Amino acid sequence: MENKVKVARVSYDLTQQELAERVGVTRQTISLIEKGRYNPTLKLCLEICYAVNKTLDEVFWQERKE
Amino acid sequence: MEKIKDERLQLKNLKNIRITFIVQTLGIMGVLLYDLINHGMDGMTDNPVWFVFIMTGVVNAYLSMTISVEHEKTKGSPVKRLYIALGIITLISLLFVTFIALTNGYNVMDGLLVGGIVFVCSVIPAFYMYGLRQKEREE
Repeated sequence: MENKVKVARVSYDLTQQELAERVGVTRQTISLIEKGRYNPTLKLCLEICYAVNKTLDEVFWQERKE
Repeated sequence: MEKIKDERLQLKNLKNIRITFIVQTLGIMGVLLYDLINHGMDGMTDNPVWFVFIMTGVVNAYLSMTISVEHEKTKGSPVKRLYIALGIITLISLLFVTFIALTNGYNVMDGLLVGGIVFVCSVIPAFYMYGLRQKEREE
């Protein structure tokens, strides 16, 4: 699933490792989320949003594809 | 060993356990098949692994019921469905009693024993399903 985690993380000046530590997962999980190869649960999405101080809409929302 | 907190790794761990379970089940089936070929049906059922295999099957069946109940398309009254199930179970148990009692070499007591076992073994899941359906309704 596409998302803007990488953009949000970089704009907040965090490395993958730092974000991973803040949300309590491994760096590989953050990497896979950024690449769209792992769909996080809503709980983890929220944790990521809290860590980068953004809303769910800003990080994960995407328009329905036709 | 540290407790895994990463949800992705927890999921991966569950998938690994599933693979382990498949391998283990195949191993158990292999042991039981070996016993069946070399020592016959009695030899197979005497093996404690047989008990483990049956117990696993029963646990699996009960756990599957929780999924089946949520997947049901017909959402009738749980009480009505319990009465229907009890009626069918009683009928099947009575058929067991009748056929075993009429079989040469067996008497009415044998029929009642087998019929009773069939009844009890069917009634427990029926009440369990009833409980699950009631709980699902409340949710």
